[in-house]
Amino acid sequence: MKIPVSAKWWAAIALVILMALAPLRISGYSLRFITFIFMWIGLAASLNLLTGYTGYLDFGHVAFFGIGAYITGILMLKLGIPFFPAMFIGAIVSGITAVVVGIPTMRLKGAYFAIGMLVFAEGLKHVALELDGITGGGNGLSLPIYTNYVFFYYIMFSTVLLAIGITYWFERSKFGLALMAIREAELAAEVSGVNTFYCKLIAFGISAFIAGIVGGIYAYWMSFFYPGDVFNVLTTVHMIIMAFLGGAGTILGPIIGATFLAAIEEFLWAEFKYTYLITVGFIVVVVVLYIPRGIVGLIREKVFARS
Amino acid sequence: MFAQVLLNGVLIGGIYASVAVGFSLIFGVLRIVNIVHGEFIMLGAFITYWLYKLMGIDPFLSLPLTFFCLYIFGFLLQRYVINKIMEAPEIMSLLLTFGLSLIIANIALLAWKGDYRLVNPEYAGAHLNLASLTIPYIRLSTFLFALVSVAGLQLFLQRTDIGRAIRATSQSKDGARLQGVSPALIYAITFGLGAAVAGVAGSLLSLSFSVFPAMGGDYLLFSFFIVVVGGMGHLPGALAGGFILGILQSLITNYLSAGLTYIIMFCILYVMLIVRPTGIFGKGIVE
Repeated sequence: MKIPVSAKWWAAIALVILMALAPLRISGYSLRFITFIFMWIGLAASLNLLTGYTGYLDFGHVAFFGIGAYITGILMLKLGIPFFPAMFIGAIVSGITAVVVGIPTMRLKGAYFAIGMLVFAEGLKHVALELDGITGGGNGLSLPIYTNYVFFYYIMFSTVLLAIGITYWFERSKFGLALMAIREAELAAEVSGVNTFYCKLIAFGISAFIAGIVGGIYAYWMSFFYPGDVFNVLTTVHMIIMAFLGGAGTILGPIIGATFLAAIEEFLWAEFKYTYLITVGFIVVVVVLYIPRGIVGLIREKVFARS
Repeated sequence: MFAQVLLNGVLIGGIYASVAVGFSLIFGVLRIVNIVHGEFIMLGAFITYWLYKLMGIDPFLSLPLTFFCLYIFGFLLQRYVINKIMEAPEIMSLLLTFGLSLIIANIALLAWKGDYRLVNPEYAGAHLNLASLTIPYIRLSTFLFALVSVAGLQLFLQRTDIGRAIRATSQSKDGARLQGVSPALIYAITFGLGAAVAGVAGSLLSLSFSVFPAMGGDYLLFSFFIVVVGGMGHLPGALAGGFILGILQSLITNYLSAGLTYIIMFCILYVMLIVRPTGIFGKGIVE
């Protein structure tokens, strides 16, 4: 079975139009829930840009979400900068931070990077706690409340489109090809003339930029946040699982994984918090052992590979 | 005052060395960064806690049992789960051990709740006064036990046939196989040993620090720091790294603020990875 390319495009366009028109029909809790799913798709797609294409697993990716949230919040509160420029600056700072941190950590193989980033995120949480003059410390930051949920729906949705658009560009461009070469065999890529170090840093920067945008929107949307919230290790856990469950290194993977896991979470979290996390752990183990290419990869193998 | 702070750091540093040495061993032989490591430590601490709490068994007497239980657990975990991805890309082993760590930590949380517990034998307060220094007997004896476990592991690797087979596998898997060593078996034994030593470290920690299901996370990060500073896979380096972390932490907590520990740790990691990724002795494995 093979789906023609034009049919894929039509399906994508139909889905985008459907989602763009959704706020006309739904509101309240459902709208909020879909906005949350968008947030997770954005975060999972952000991690996917790095991990799915370069093979570098980031255990501290929440750091960039947190930087986005804090910079946006601080600029709005202390300097009175409007939301959009504040969010944009937050995302830029996120991206630059990633490049600076990546310079030592990405030189070595992935394991150093993975845990080095975990220490980094944990360290940043403590920076936010210590600098209480600027960040409010453990008491967190309260932004002016803005309750236009349709607004947040659309900017989260736009961020998802941006993240997926960049993923599409990764799939189709020479730069993306270079990244995939790094993922499959870094040394071979290096020998073939790819500047692997430079490519990894750029991918890391772009990935952190997206996470920073989502963090900025989250800050304004929630209007209150604190270090333990926006630097929560569990957020990273979710991003990783969503990306791998859906299919790392694919366009649809983060969308499917995030939607699927957000639905499970909605169902299990409130009543059975620990059971939920145990389930999540089992999902990771099953994915690694039996479906390393995720749901997207599984469907490709089982349904499309036959023809 | 300063001497006391330094001494506290050294005493804790010894335990930290035993916390990290299993992590280093597993990395050196299996080339896996083992995220479950923190949970091994947590399980060891809980074994000691429950034996003490329910049966009144002295914490030091529970060490052999912790060693045995964690060895079996680690052995089986490697043999039946982790061994399946030994040939897969590195990212898969990171993910797999990460999933296992989520499962174990949250089952523990479900079973034992998140309460902070302490193993508190009646000799807990006893201490030795040496000049102006105060040395709690518990800190001193856990320190000595920790050093014994690190030295024991090193001796085992140097002097026994299995130890030699482990070192051979770490140097060259195919070379070891040609000499009749089964790498799969060695991997399971090594993983079991790493888990057992981590468990014993957890038991020792339970005498001085709180025991709770989520405690593994911090010790995983500490282990990583120690092993990068001392050199990945280089066991004597873990000893040096442990002392450095212990002293550093003691200084930061006393003279600055405990919250800064992670920030300073990251800065040191950052510099180490740029300047000397093979660790302070230059004997770590870098790939």
